[in-house]
Amino acid sequence: MAVVKLNGLSKRYAATAAPAVDNADLTIEDGEFMVFLGPSGCGKSTTLRMIAGLESITGGELTIDGARMNEVPAKDRDIAMVFQSYALYPHMTVFENLAFGLRRRGFDKAEIEQRVTKAAATLGLSEYLDRKPHALSGGQRQRVALGRAIVRNPKVFLLDEPLSNLDAALRVSTRAELIRQHRQLGTTMIYVTHDQIEAMTMGTRICIMNGGRIVQVGKPLEVYENPADTFVARFLGSPGMNLVPSTVIRSGGGYAVKFGGTDLVIPMPDITDDDVILGIRPEDISEDASEGSVSFQGNVDTVEPLGADTLLLFRVAEHDAVLTARVDRSFQAFPGQSVTLHINSPGIRLFDSRTKAALMRTEPEDA
Amino acid sequence: MPHSKAITRALLLIAISLYTAFSAGPFAWTAMLSFRTTSEISKAPYAWPETFRWQKYVEAWTGSNYDTYFVNSMVITVLAVLVTTVVGAMAAHCLARYRFRGNRLIYFIIFSTIIFPPQITIIALFQTLVDYGLYNSRVGLILVYVSVQLPLTVFLLEGFFARLPQDLFDAARMDGYSDAEIFWKITVPIGMPAIVTTVILNTVHIWNEFLYAVVLISDESKRTLPLGIQKFMGDQLEDIGMIATGMMIAVIPIVIVYAIFSEKLIQGMTAGAVK
Ligand SMILES: Nc1ncnc2c1ncn2[C@@H]1O[C@H](COP(=O)(O)OP(=O)(O)OP(=O)(O)O)[C@@H](O)[C@H]1O
Ligand SMILES: [Mg+2]
Repeated sequence: MAVVKLNGLSKRYAATAAPAVDNADLTIEDGEFMVFLGPSGCGKSTTLRMIAGLESITGGELTIDGARMNEVPAKDRDIAMVFQSYALYPHMTVFENLAFGLRRRGFDKAEIEQRVTKAAATLGLSEYLDRKPHALSGGQRQRVALGRAIVRNPKVFLLDEPLSNLDAALRVSTRAELIRQHRQLGTTMIYVTHDQIEAMTMGTRICIMNGGRIVQVGKPLEVYENPADTFVARFLGSPGMNLVPSTVIRSGGGYAVKFGGTDLVIPMPDITDDDVILGIRPEDISEDASEGSVSFQGNVDTVEPLGADTLLLFRVAEHDAVLTARVDRSFQAFPGQSVTLHINSPGIRLFDSRTKAALMRTEPEDA
Repeated sequence: MPHSKAITRALLLIAISLYTAFSAGPFAWTAMLSFRTTSEISKAPYAWPETFRWQKYVEAWTGSNYDTYFVNSMVITVLAVLVTTVVGAMAAHCLARYRFRGNRLIYFIIFSTIIFPPQITIIALFQTLVDYGLYNSRVGLILVYVSVQLPLTVFLLEGFFARLPQDLFDAARMDGYSDAEIFWKITVPIGMPAIVTTVILNTVHIWNEFLYAVVLISDESKRTLPLGIQKFMGDQLEDIGMIATGMMIAVIPIVIVYAIFSEKLIQGMTAGAVK
């Protein structure tokens, strides 16, 4: 049972420097799998290390189950952490690595033995207990690092990019293993990554950070469908959302926005500013018309077959950037060709051209 | 090109042999002299001992206070090296691990004392020890040795400790260990190759040290081996054979220490490979 709460949590490494983490507000519920996602240097690790107690908190408050943690040393927070580098003790065997934390906490020999054996068995490490870390493969080391956290049965697990040193195949299987462990243990987990597939597949909720600030928090699909601003819109998805500057046209009681020579009529709340940014996900643009879709003309730039589907890079009139559509893999076109494409209008998002914040969201999510 | 390879190899072997002869030759020669009497030596200085006169070692040991010198050297060296190692490792750990105001300044001050030759400080040191009642005492000499050896020890260990990944220390903190425990359970065992290196260097240096010992010790009963050998030279200037025996007795412990630890020493010198 552990609720981790960040109240305006901030970190400045130097009094003069810009804050590495700026006024973060977030509540991580008991048993939740929260993923911190963001570009490099956005403050994910710093936030995690403040929760762990490895980094001092320079502003705001951190509570676990309602108790203030700011001044509590790392060893008394009952938190376990898995490091990106694994940080296995090189002079100890796997068994000793797993037992190290338990020894300090005064468990008796039999209890330690029993816990280590059990964790080693679940992680498939039983036959390596006598080995030193240098004699293990990358995947085995990663499992030892995980096991070291699991044996302690802590209130909260922190994981800082634990899969980034593994190869692609191992990453997929370890991801599944982690999800299984989380379901079994039911412990609150906070997981840092800059891999969006990990974030989408593992997170109960994801927390997107940029430049030290929390930009958006929500269930993965909700965030994907309703990005809070243009940063999230671009950052999530590969490729990210197409963003096109546009103008609002008021016609009678309704609104429309200009796009590629057509007017897209959209239901939306009051708009005060006429300049907006139009956002469309590549998969919401298709070569086939569907019910309620709006068609427009595009000029083919490049065709990139990915196997499962194909990316079509194209240009539209009155806009100089290249946009992307995710089309069926049977689609064929040559550069320079003019094609008719269709926008699935429920997928259209609008952003304020000044603040870059979302203007219209079907299911508003509070950060 | 097998031919030119063989030539390169031969040249290298010659170079190494010459160097070995140059550095080990005097040692081997002294070892031979230590088994011969002075009259035998004066007849044929470079000859192989006809009979090994082991009793010379017994004579040197019993006849010239060697037992006292040896025990003094042993006690002073062991204690000074022990204190230097523990204090030096702790200081290096702090300088390498903790961010605090003046960290680099302290490091620089400690390190800058290395450049002063002992002759410069010895008068001040003498006066200081007299003031504190530590002149002509083994404790005083130990303290001097510790302070003289500390800078290099801290310098070598800091360089090694700073390269250990910070995550290891963070992991130990998460595992519940205090700063002091982390030093003993993480830094010391992982840094052992580097620590052994400094132990050997300090042992050799202190064991052979002459200048501080001769200035700061006056009692016969408190002298160390290097002073003992010198006394030999003064009393029995002619007796080359006996001097050689005395030197061998002084050198043997160092050779043993080196033989035991040399593998670790090489590990320490090629270290940094802690992943
Ligand atoms: N010890 C430090 N001293 C000063 N600045 C630091 C320190 N550690 C991190 N920073 C700065 O704080 C910011 C956030 O760093 P942080 O390590 O939290 O990023 P991150 O989101 O984990 O990035 P990555 O995905 O690359 O790991 C960065 O701008 C970084 O330069
Ligand atoms: Mg990081």
